[in-house]
Order: sequence, then structure tokens, then C-alpha cells
Amino acid sequence: MTAIIRSAAYRMAFAVSLAFALATSLLGAAVFYAAHAAFAQEMDASIELAAKGLMAEYRDDGIDGLSEAILQREGGSPDALGYALFDPAGKRVGGNLNTGMPALGWHTINFIDPVEGPDPARAMVTPLSGGYRLVVAADLEPLDQIDRTILTLFAAAFAALLFIGLVGALVFGGYLRARLARIEGTAKEIIAGDLSRRMVMGPRNDEFDRVAASLNGMLDRIASLVTNLRQVTSDLAHDLRTPLARLRNQLEMLQGQVGSDDRRAAVDAAVERADEVLQLFDAILRISELEEGSLRSRFEHVDLCQLMRDLGETHAPLAEDAGKTLSTKSHGHCIVEGDRELMAQAIINLIENALRHTPLGTAIVIGARRALNEVVAFVRDSGPGIAEAERERVLERFVRLEEARSTPGHGLGLSLVKAIADAHHARITMFAKDGFEVALRFPAASASHPSGLS
Amino acid sequence: MRILIAEDDAETAEFVERGLRELGHNVAVVGDGSDALHLGLGESFDLLILDRMLPGLDGVSVVRRLRAGDVGAPILILTALGKIEDRVEGLDAGADDYLVKPFSFSELAARVNALGRRPPPRTIVTRLFAAGIEMDLLSREVRRDGKIIPLQPREFQLLEQLLRHAGEFVTRTMLLEWVWDFHFDPQTKIVETHISRLRSKLNEGGLPDPIETVRGVGYRIRAQ
Repeated sequence: MTAIIRSAAYRMAFAVSLAFALATSLLGAAVFYAAHAAFAQEMDASIELAAKGLMAEYRDDGIDGLSEAILQREGGSPDALGYALFDPAGKRVGGNLNTGMPALGWHTINFIDPVEGPDPARAMVTPLSGGYRLVVAADLEPLDQIDRTILTLFAAAFAALLFIGLVGALVFGGYLRARLARIEGTAKEIIAGDLSRRMVMGPRNDEFDRVAASLNGMLDRIASLVTNLRQVTSDLAHDLRTPLARLRNQLEMLQGQVGSDDRRAAVDAAVERADEVLQLFDAILRISELEEGSLRSRFEHVDLCQLMRDLGETHAPLAEDAGKTLSTKSHGHCIVEGDRELMAQAIINLIENALRHTPLGTAIVIGARRALNEVVAFVRDSGPGIAEAERERVLERFVRLEEARSTPGHGLGLSLVKAIADAHHARITMFAKDGFEVALRFPAASASHPSGLS
Repeated sequence: MRILIAEDDAETAEFVERGLRELGHNVAVVGDGSDALHLGLGESFDLLILDRMLPGLDGVSVVRRLRAGDVGAPILILTALGKIEDRVEGLDAGADDYLVKPFSFSELAARVNALGRRPPPRTIVTRLFAAGIEMDLLSREVRRDGKIIPLQPREFQLLEQLLRHAGEFVTRTMLLEWVWDFHFDPQTKIVETHISRLRSKLNEGGLPDPIETVRGVGYRIRAQ
């Protein structure tokens, strides 16, 4: 219900249907009054006409002629009019209209209908000479009936309109919401990181399709800017690599020629710095290569469980030297479609992170296990982990968290892990409970379809 | 050694040529693939260094044709970074080793040495010996001065490579390739750490260190 109240689409649709209902009721009121007035006028006119006719009889033949004429009219064709003639004492001396003597002029009087009992009527009372009075009256019942009919009709029309309006508002609002929800859903997927998604376009080129087309144009532009940025980064890395490598080689040649120890140490340090920058460039280029996505053609079956055991064996001494422990929990075999060296690199980067950013005495556990349709490789440590809000961000390029500023690194380690994971259609999950776990979830290679991943 | 270099980038070619001459090698340089093929088929070299991307005829095709022409000398391919396919392709075509550009000269020199002193094919070595260390590849036993030294598998493999190339420098990258089968730089200290473990096991009891380390170059075990 709150969803309906909070929806602009529903609110607009409801407002429109209410406005229609209101307009209908205004129209109903106008028709009602116009019809009522016209009918009342016509009634008065027929009373006046009858009275005029009777008065002509009276003028010609006096009271007796009038009584005769009244009897004739009452007995003749029924014209829905009632007549009464009163003598000066107020006694009814002619006509069937059963009522007391009214005052002169136009009135609404009550009379006793022989069938229906007391009834209101519209009456005109005309004075005659000698204190006599002539009453010509019309029953108000037909007017009331017409009023009731008109009111009932409009009430029904109003209710129908309100009902159609409500149903229409729900349908129309729902349609608007559905169209908007499609755009919103796509936008959310893009926010989640899939910049290749585009808005779905309908065949009608309506407003929504035009908005979708504009959004798609905007997204194309953003995507091309992002691609350009990446291209520039990797071009820069590529172009700077060669001169830097030459600089490094010249320094390396100096290493052999420098005599004194402290100068030699300075040259060594310079070579090391150059190597660090070269490594950074290598990482950028490697990520670009992975993002191009051409590697999958070389994928083969890799036993991830075995790989984790190898990496565990290789890195346990490194952990020990860093004052931490590393153990492996990986049994049996689990086959994944991929590139063994890339997977190794991703896991090594995760192990390296666990070694670098945790306090002394931290216990690190690595391993792989088979899940339902996945093979999960995990690196778990008893350290403080990464705050939930930062977890998406650390996968971006060059992001280094404040806590990690003091440790060496170029902020590309986890971006490389992400690029490798993406190239393998693997998901990265992070999970904090009694420490911190980063897991790479690879789709399991099915035995019957050795290459059935692409 | 008599070495042929085929490299179209003049600066790289000159840098490699100068370095190898300084080490006492006899070097010929060409900048074109078809020249490299003609020279390689026509003259006798101990080692060929070919760039993957060459004008005229690309490096991999040169390797394929040299091998088809019965040239058995070791071939080292130089590739640009980020082309993992190139490496596989080059080795498939019959190259013996590859190096990713840009490389340090010491890395190239170490590989040139390793390739130049390859034992002749089809000789099976079962025992390695250097610097008082004896390795039996069949029983997987290591002794120093007669005393058995228990080693972890990785340490054994490291020592095996150092002994196979006794007297030569073996670089960190070469060890990563040979022992771990990693053709990338994991940018961690795995080689250093395992060498240091190996060292402390070999030197137990205050024996002199048989493994020489040169910063930025690599490791070497004395030949005698």
C-alpha cells in the first residue's frame, strides 16, 4: 500500500481519475437543475393554461358554468391536474381535489390522494367574484420521479466512472511503474559494475523509448570515455616502459663500474626503484590484456585444489618469516576451466595481502572446495579484514585504504585479482566472521562438457 | 660463443650486442627476419636470439624454418609483454627459451649462458655434484661432505637447478620458471625465502655458504 502511495505514477493516475469523477458530478448537478427547472416551468404553464380556460367558462356562464367545466375536465381526458372550487365560507363546492382552502397565488399544497393518501402538489389559486376561489393543482410526484431518475443515473455514472478510474489508475500506474522499473533495473546493474548493459527499447518509439535511447547514448559516451581512460593508462604504461627499461639497463651497467660501497648501494637502490615502477606498468598492462578477454581461448582444465596445496606449501615459509602462520585446507581434486598461472597470480596476490595487512601472529588458511556449481578458492585470515563499505572499492585500480598507506604496494593487486576473476567468469566474495575471508568462486568445469563454459 | 642477434630496434640490438661482446662472445646482428633466416641457415652459430616481431619474416616463422632446415642450435625468442600466446607459439615452433621485453642484461646473459652450456641431448644425468654437495636424482638424496641433508621438495628442486648450472648465474626469473612453472613475476619473495631455507639447511653446523648471491643478478653455486 505504501508502495502505491509513494509511487508518482499511481498518484498521477489517481488524480486524473478523481478529476474525471468530479467533472462528471458537476455535469450531473447542472443537468439535474436544468431538467428540474424546465419541468417545473412546463408544469406551471399547463396549470396556468387550464386556469385560463376555466376562467373563460366562468366569465361566460358564472359559477355554475365553471362547476360544469370542472366536472367535464375531471371526467374527460385525465390531464394529471386537480381542481377545487371554494365558496366564500371556505367550503369546497366543486372539483375532486381534496384539500383545505388555500391562500391566493402560487403554492405547494397538500391534498389527499384517493389512492396514495396525502400528497404535495403545485397549485394556483385564483380569486373569483363573491369570495369564491378556484384552485388548479398538479401533482408533484412526476417531478420528484424525474429528479430521482436523474440523480440515480448520475450516481450510477459517477460510481462507474470512479471504479473505471481506479482500475485504470492501477493498470496505468502499474504500466508506468513497470516501464520505469525496467530502466531502474538496468541502471542498478550498471551501478553494480556492468557498464556494457543497455536500456531495453520498445518498438513504439514512445517517450520511454526516447528516454531509454538518450540514456543509452549517454552510457555509450561514458563507456567510451572509460575505455579511452583505460587505453590511455595502458598506452602510457606501454610507452614509458621502454625508456624506463633502458634507464634501468644503464643503471645496471653502472653497478659493475662503481667502486665505492655507498655509491654502489645508491645505484642498487635506484635499480630497485626502477624495477618497482616497471612492475607497476606490468600490472597495468596485464590488467588491460585480461580485460580484452582474448585469453579464454587458451584455457585448460586446472586442478584448483592441487594448485592451492602447491601455493600453500610455497608460501608457508613466507608467512613464517613474517611472524604469521599459513596452513592449507584443500582435499582431493577440483577442476576448473582456466589459466593455471593467472589463477596462481590471483591467489598469490590475496595471500600477499593477508601477509601484508595483518598483525603479527595472524593465522592464514587457504584452500579450495567444491560447492554446488562452483569451485571456491579462499584465503582466510584472523586479521581485522576490510570494512564492509570499502569492499567494492578495494577492487578498483590504484585504491589503497588509509590503513595500508604505510605498507608497500601500488594499489593494483586486488584490481588484478578482479580482472583475473572476471576473465574466468568467477565471482569475488568477501566475508567477515572470526576474521576475514576472500573467496574466488569459479564455475565448475563439467566433466561432460570440457569446454562448455564459454 | 658465436651468437646471432635478430632485432629491428636498433637501440635494443646495440645494448645486447655491446653487453655480449663485453662477455667475450662473437656477435652478428641483423635487423630483418629473412636476413636472420639466411644467416642462420648459411653459417654456424652456437646460439640465436630472435625478436618475435621482425620485419620481413616474423621470429616464430624464422624458428620454424631454421628447425626445418636442421639447425639445432639453441634459440632464444624475445617477446613484448602481454602476449602470452607468443611465448607458447615460439616454444611450439622449436625455440628453447624466451624473454619478455624489456629485460635486464643480466637476465639475458644468464639465459645465454644456460642455453650455451646445455648438456647434449639424450644424456641422462642421475647424479649432480658441486661445491662438496652431492645430489642423487634417483634416490632424491642430498649429501654435503657425506652427511645427508633432508630437504623439502621445493628446496630440492632449487638446489637441483643450481647444481645443474653450477658455475653460472641463475636468475630469480629462471628459478620461478624452472621450479614453480611461473612465467610471471608474482612480486613476492618466494625465491628469496626458499633459497634462504635451503641455505640454512646446507650450512648447518657453521659450514661455508656454497650459494653466492649477487643483487639484481641471481644465484650461483661454485663449480668445484
